[in-house]
Amino acid sequence: MAVTYEDASAQVAPRSSRLIAFIRKNASIFLIYGIIILIAGGAAIFSESFRTPSNMANILRQSIILGLLAIGQSIVILTGGMDISIDMMARTVALTIATLFAFYNSDPSLILPLILLGIVIGVILGGINGLLITRTHATPFIITFGVAFILRGVNLAISTTPIRGIPKEFLLIYNTKIGIIAVNVIVMALVWFLVWLFTTRTRLGRGLYAVGGSPRIARLSAIRVNRTLVWAYVLSGFFASLAGLFVLSRMGVGDPGTAEGMTFQSIVAVAVGGISLYGGRGSIIGTLGGVLLLTILSNVFNLIQVNIYYQQLLLGLVVLIAVAAYRTPRTVRSG
Amino acid sequence: MEASSASNHSNNTILELSGIDKTFGGTHALADVSFDLRAGEIHALVGENGAGKSTLIKIITGAYFPDIGVIKIGDDSYSSLRPEQARNIGVSVVYQEFNILPELSVAENIFMGDQPRGRLQLIDMGTRNKKANELLKRLGAENTINPNDLVKNLTVGEQQLVEISKALATESHIIIMDEPSAVLPSRELERLFSVIRKLRSEGHGIIYISHRLNEVFELADRVTVLKDGQLMATKDVVDTNHAELVHLMVGRELTDMYPPADNQPEDTLLEVKDLDIDGTVFGVNLEVRTGEVLGLAGLGGSGRTTVCRALVGLADVQAGEITYLGKPAPKNAGAASQAGLVLVPEDRKTHGLVLNQSMRFNLSLPNLLQFVRNGVLRAGIEKEAIENMVEDIQVKPPNPEMLAESLSGGNQQKVVVGKWLLTNPKLVIFDEPTRGIDVGAKAEIYQRIRDLTYSGVGVIMASSELPELIGMSDRIMVFHEGRIAGELDRSEFSEEAIMHLATATNGNEDQPAKKVEV
Repeated sequence: MAVTYEDASAQVAPRSSRLIAFIRKNASIFLIYGIIILIAGGAAIFSESFRTPSNMANILRQSIILGLLAIGQSIVILTGGMDISIDMMARTVALTIATLFAFYNSDPSLILPLILLGIVIGVILGGINGLLITRTHATPFIITFGVAFILRGVNLAISTTPIRGIPKEFLLIYNTKIGIIAVNVIVMALVWFLVWLFTTRTRLGRGLYAVGGSPRIARLSAIRVNRTLVWAYVLSGFFASLAGLFVLSRMGVGDPGTAEGMTFQSIVAVAVGGISLYGGRGSIIGTLGGVLLLTILSNVFNLIQVNIYYQQLLLGLVVLIAVAAYRTPRTVRSG
Repeated sequence: MEASSASNHSNNTILELSGIDKTFGGTHALADVSFDLRAGEIHALVGENGAGKSTLIKIITGAYFPDIGVIKIGDDSYSSLRPEQARNIGVSVVYQEFNILPELSVAENIFMGDQPRGRLQLIDMGTRNKKANELLKRLGAENTINPNDLVKNLTVGEQQLVEISKALATESHIIIMDEPSAVLPSRELERLFSVIRKLRSEGHGIIYISHRLNEVFELADRVTVLKDGQLMATKDVVDTNHAELVHLMVGRELTDMYPPADNQPEDTLLEVKDLDIDGTVFGVNLEVRTGEVLGLAGLGGSGRTTVCRALVGLADVQAGEITYLGKPAPKNAGAASQAGLVLVPEDRKTHGLVLNQSMRFNLSLPNLLQFVRNGVLRAGIEKEAIENMVEDIQVKPPNPEMLAESLSGGNQQKVVVGKWLLTNPKLVIFDEPTRGIDVGAKAEIYQRIRDLTYSGVGVIMASSELPELIGMSDRIMVFHEGRIAGELDRSEFSEEAIMHLATATNGNEDQPAKKVEV
């Protein structure tokens, strides 16, 4: 975090008390990364295959899709909302683009236009979510849940079987590596940095926190609440479309099961990362921790061959523990 | 029913508080207050905001424990009551905010706590509706309210009757009414009064809290005046008059908390013509000049706050013109603040600060544009501006990363003021700028307001604290039920004059509202 210490340089006491304040303020961040170090350290000691550099690189690469969805989810949850439709938006983008590739005989020259089209679809779907929420004042959960159901139907109409015909060049998005590090991991690091910059260092980013903290106070403070909300859902749709394109590149086919269950995982990553599900509190850095933790857990479960049912159970436990740990005392506000 | 004597003034005391003392932290909310209530009596309780009325009521209902003192109900004495105990011995309250569930029926609400049961312990709806109807009949409302109606479909006045029926259903003989008339449109007042008189004739004791002194004279048998937690007097209504009550309520000295009023009002900054707002404000005209403090007085719900909100585009204006700097005023809070027209709202906790964020976050919120270069908020620029402001408004501790919720009330208010001062406003509207903050912080905020006027900023200050209005304003406009009841110049300022206009006792010649020499 961007906290500077230079003006406390002379005296020792203020510096240490400032350090304590800094740790306390960012307790959830320290907690999540502490847990990651514990689990990853434990796994590295007990599992030979876990500590191989290629497995580590693999974990980073696997974290991209959940990461993209969790970024969008974080932005929405910071405003006090929730986007249940992100997995279906990702799937709609993946299936639509796959269908078009198949229709045009895997023409590689269409890669760029279709990527852009995919992003446009995501942005439009997110915009629809945002407009429905700001116009109807209905709970975001219900609106996005409804949109998710509609999209689920649309996706079934597009295809119920894997769509073949994705050009080979498209697969490079996911597969290109420098050494053992995938290029997209580097790009992803940049994306996380930009999103961090966005949430902490732009007006719109501050607006997310203000709206999540109290829409009324935000409005009184000259923040355009509805515009902020629409932007949040547009961004969520945008990141969902990127996730859909990534899944498509990774699978090499238009998979009708694209991103199944990822909405829940994204919410888990956000909650575990310490962003308050009531909105207005937390940091995208925490979400990154949540994403890494979930990816590492799933990797470890696979390596030590935990039954898939127990995996679900353990994931559920992680959520409950995280929510209990971050429970902040909240005064009940009326109206 | 006990004491069905024909006289209203039976001397059968049913409630007696003696020597009640209650302190909160350092403030003495009640000091050696005694109070009594007789069967078949309406006893009015009056006093300014913060005089201790609510505290007294809460001691009777068991919400607070008194530090010292004795509560005697019937023949039993208590050093304190618990809420359910108070209910069981027959105390109930009709609050301004009703305690009823809108989605349930009238009968369900009336018997909420104790539904009549039939065989198998199931709720006996027939009996319940019959009993509800009997209660409504006692209030003379059996023809207008059906026990099966959903409460949400009733008018406010009818909902109030349901609330009163609820009190009767628990066989309460001590009924406390907390400003019951404040929520009612005037056409429903008469029915409320006749219901209250009916309750009196049935032998109930009624404690009636109201800001409207004319109601006291119309309704009550005795009146008790509280001021600053002290009992000023308990009088038979026939032995007192309006002027005496006002004097008892407000009579106190101004201190030198207020900086000298040597500001120089100049050009017109904002002008309001014939403003009508959504059934709450009617035909309001006002004008503010640069370097001027315009005070807005009036009781709660008189339209003060609504007008303040309307000026920054936060209310539903039906008709009228608001002209700011010679042009129509901005229509939303964002545009208004960019044009230098800002509202420091009442209730900092729900309108002023994002409590779970830092002081820096809150101070920055309306000022983000100032810190942006090429679309990115510059931490350095923000830090410098915030640190200067924190020092300027003297927040303690001066740590911008402190969470707003961990600051004291006075410091929170300074942050709210600071966040708007950072916008370099031309007209600042303060709504209850000093509510619930300590004396030191108050004086600092008064000085701040005066400083603003020196630099040519116009100030509108809406407040329910008369001393601060008198101490700070150049002119005071008094609201009464959504209209401006009168305007006072500094030479005419007095708490009595303001209260007269605010309580609309027009034509009361023993205390002329105008031309009081100071």
